[in-house]
Amino acid sequence: MRGSRTIVAAISACALMLAACGGDDDDSSDTTSAPAPTTAAPDETDAPPETTAESPDTTEASPDTTEASPDTTEPAAEAWAVNTDDCVDPDAANAPIEGTVNIGSAMPLTGGVAAAAFAPVKGGFEAYVAYARENGLFEGYDDINLTIADDQYDPAQTPGAVASQIDAGAHLFSGIIGSPNNGAVRDTLNDECIPQLNALTGSPAWGQVEDYPWTTGILVPYTVESKVYATQIGELYPDGASVGMFYVNNDFGQVYVDAFNEIAGDYNLEIVTEQTVEATDSNPPTSQVTNIANEQPDVIMAVPLGAGCISFLTELAAAKAQNAGWDPAVFITNTCASSLILGAAGPAADGLYTSNNLLDIGNPEVQTMPVVADYIAFMEGQGLGDIITTGAAGWTTGEITVAILNQAAQSPEGLTRASIINAARNFTHTPSLGREGVVDKSMGVEDPYLSESLQVLQYDADTATFTDIGSLITEFES
Amino acid sequence: MKSLVTIREDSVGHWVLRIVGAVALVVVLVWIPTKGGNGLITDVMEAFTLMSAAMALNLVLGYAGQISIGHSAFFGIGAYTTGICVSRWGFSPWVTFPLAFVIAFVVGVMVSFPASRIKGVYLALVTLALALVFPRLLTWRKLAWLTGGGRGLPQDDAEVSTTGFDIGRRAGQMRHFEIFGWDPFGDLRSIEAKTPFHYWIGALMVVVVYVVCRGIVKSRAGRALIAVRDNETAAAVMGVNLVATKAFIFGISAGLCALPGSFTAIRIGQVTPDLANLTLIGAITFLIVMVIGGAGSLSGPVIGAVLYIAIVSKTGSWADDDNIPGVLRPLFAWAKTPPGTGIFALALILLMFVAPRGIVGAWKQYSRRIVRVEPRPIGVPSTVDALAPSVGATPT
Repeated sequence: MRGSRTIVAAISACALMLAACGGDDDDSSDTTSAPAPTTAAPDETDAPPETTAESPDTTEASPDTTEASPDTTEPAAEAWAVNTDDCVDPDAANAPIEGTVNIGSAMPLTGGVAAAAFAPVKGGFEAYVAYARENGLFEGYDDINLTIADDQYDPAQTPGAVASQIDAGAHLFSGIIGSPNNGAVRDTLNDECIPQLNALTGSPAWGQVEDYPWTTGILVPYTVESKVYATQIGELYPDGASVGMFYVNNDFGQVYVDAFNEIAGDYNLEIVTEQTVEATDSNPPTSQVTNIANEQPDVIMAVPLGAGCISFLTELAAAKAQNAGWDPAVFITNTCASSLILGAAGPAADGLYTSNNLLDIGNPEVQTMPVVADYIAFMEGQGLGDIITTGAAGWTTGEITVAILNQAAQSPEGLTRASIINAARNFTHTPSLGREGVVDKSMGVEDPYLSESLQVLQYDADTATFTDIGSLITEFES
Repeated sequence: MKSLVTIREDSVGHWVLRIVGAVALVVVLVWIPTKGGNGLITDVMEAFTLMSAAMALNLVLGYAGQISIGHSAFFGIGAYTTGICVSRWGFSPWVTFPLAFVIAFVVGVMVSFPASRIKGVYLALVTLALALVFPRLLTWRKLAWLTGGGRGLPQDDAEVSTTGFDIGRRAGQMRHFEIFGWDPFGDLRSIEAKTPFHYWIGALMVVVVYVVCRGIVKSRAGRALIAVRDNETAAAVMGVNLVATKAFIFGISAGLCALPGSFTAIRIGQVTPDLANLTLIGAITFLIVMVIGGAGSLSGPVIGAVLYIAIVSKTGSWADDDNIPGVLRPLFAWAKTPPGTGIFALALILLMFVAPRGIVGAWKQYSRRIVRVEPRPIGVPSTVDALAPSVGATPT
């Protein structure tokens, strides 16, 4: 009997091997076809004149950026142009996109500390697309069909989410959250020549134009942010200071720390302790903060993740209460810099330093600005009034995505996947919710990062607003 | 209890049933990569990962009765063995499968030593400690030269810029996978080729894990495991070496659990401490998958993994009301988040009441009312043995 079962097993194994031949016979051309619109058509609402005019006018599409020919694989004389010869299917990369543009994304909507902080980004992104639709801001295409899948901040789940969206006809991806999550699909999207725009992480890896031309980031690189803080600490403590580091033990935190360590010596900053917390750990970092308190550093540089920002600040407040006279200056990553997070930390967040290049939406004075008032009104109209601060990042991602699409659609080759990435890499745009002086700019290999300007801020827990410290720092712009 | 149909074990009817089942399985396995979309294939690969890990856990927990909440660490050993060997030292990903097995086997055997002295909740705590310590070991700065620390692998200066197959256009990179000159997949840079390629590696892994598990369970060692699970003292009296048996099964189980870890590293091309399956979350997921499918059954983890991925994947887009089927919308629309894990948690609670032996246990219980397979009396040759005595039939 054992022998006969062996034969059956062998036959099954052979059948499995034979079946392997059928993997590549699917028609790949469907990646460029535009499915039927599934969302409302534009031009159906009456928008206020000032809001309809806002976005197109802020996008300064340079004539130089639109010179790439669909069939040309050589870079244009001035503007950077992608080489579609490298694509698995160059024709698909240059095929016109008509009707509805399908945008895919993956974000942590459930599952742990990251989801709590980042899920509102989805609401902001979707709200801007709805806003652009209502106000007729789509130029050269009919509509946008945005699909955001849940990857639970687990890089093993991102490829599945992205693959499903490619099957569904995604023309581009925008706003995928997380460095490892973006990294998990970067090869696939670059081989397939599907634009991977506005990666919502500040990893400097998104500036590798030569190796990954189809991937761009949207946030200020963490290396730049870290250096901005070191510069600010240098100004606060001209004679040098001791620094306690607290960071999440993954790529996100490590990039900050490496950049900070690199520049710390220039400002005579001595790092006296480094404490870490795991990204998946939802327990309060009591022991880590106690260890920092034992060293009594002048400054704490903190890079927690998501809801970890709240628990860190709460633990720090407790440690300060137990150590009378110790009142360090606290610098915290701007991924924590929203009134949703800092408001939850309450008085524990008072006086901390952070940074941002977007307006402080929670500030009543800022809320009177027409552009912010429109934004808030629209968000509230969508039932998203509770996420106006954290949703701003998603809104800006949506705004930049639409601006890139508009610029690509106005290029001579029209809207194609190639023209989209060419537009993204030759792009100048003033974000509507950006601070005065902030201009998102990219220029091929010379300037691969969209945004490198930051304003240092100090948080006031009583009013739940931020105060500008100094002026906008633009010296790191490429 | 009477059945509508009664079939004797190893009779012609029984073999027809088995063959129909096997053919159906092969048809499904072939249909997925040939006709299914990339999303479906990727979901199935994720299911392959979970079912392999759950099958490995099933050996220790389902058959030997030793509680382990530390299998995520063995999964991580597999992922990092592949990640380190491929990205740092340029090994072929194929070679890293047996390497991962051996390394995890050794660690598993070491974990078994406390298991020989403690049991129940105490053993659970020891293995829980393993699950908690392992991710911290990966991010420990003194080991960052090897593991890449918090940033994971591959590092910027890596020998190979991936932890899987180095697929690309440049010289030295892999673009096709040929079997004796036959190129079944085409250009592997294409998602249409790369995904089925990884799918078949995953399928092969599942077959290997299943065959090993089945071989153990049906062997003398398997009977010893069950004896240990049911009554350690009685097993010892009957001549079962408890220490050796536990060491063996912990080692094998750990080694097998490392294989899906290696597969994950190959499939996504990077390993980082953020991978959920190598944290405590992963250990609990393996446990839930095994329990829902049916602990102590070979097919239980397979069913559990398929069900888990089906629910999580199907409900992944349910954060948008429009994606929720109309009938279910009133139930889930208020949540504004994908309810997959919540549904699975509810299913787990429900199953514990109505089917404590999992889906496979319930299936066995209720399917007997329709078809009952009657054990073959001792001394009666099976149909196959009678038809083909020359191909290795053994006297019973």
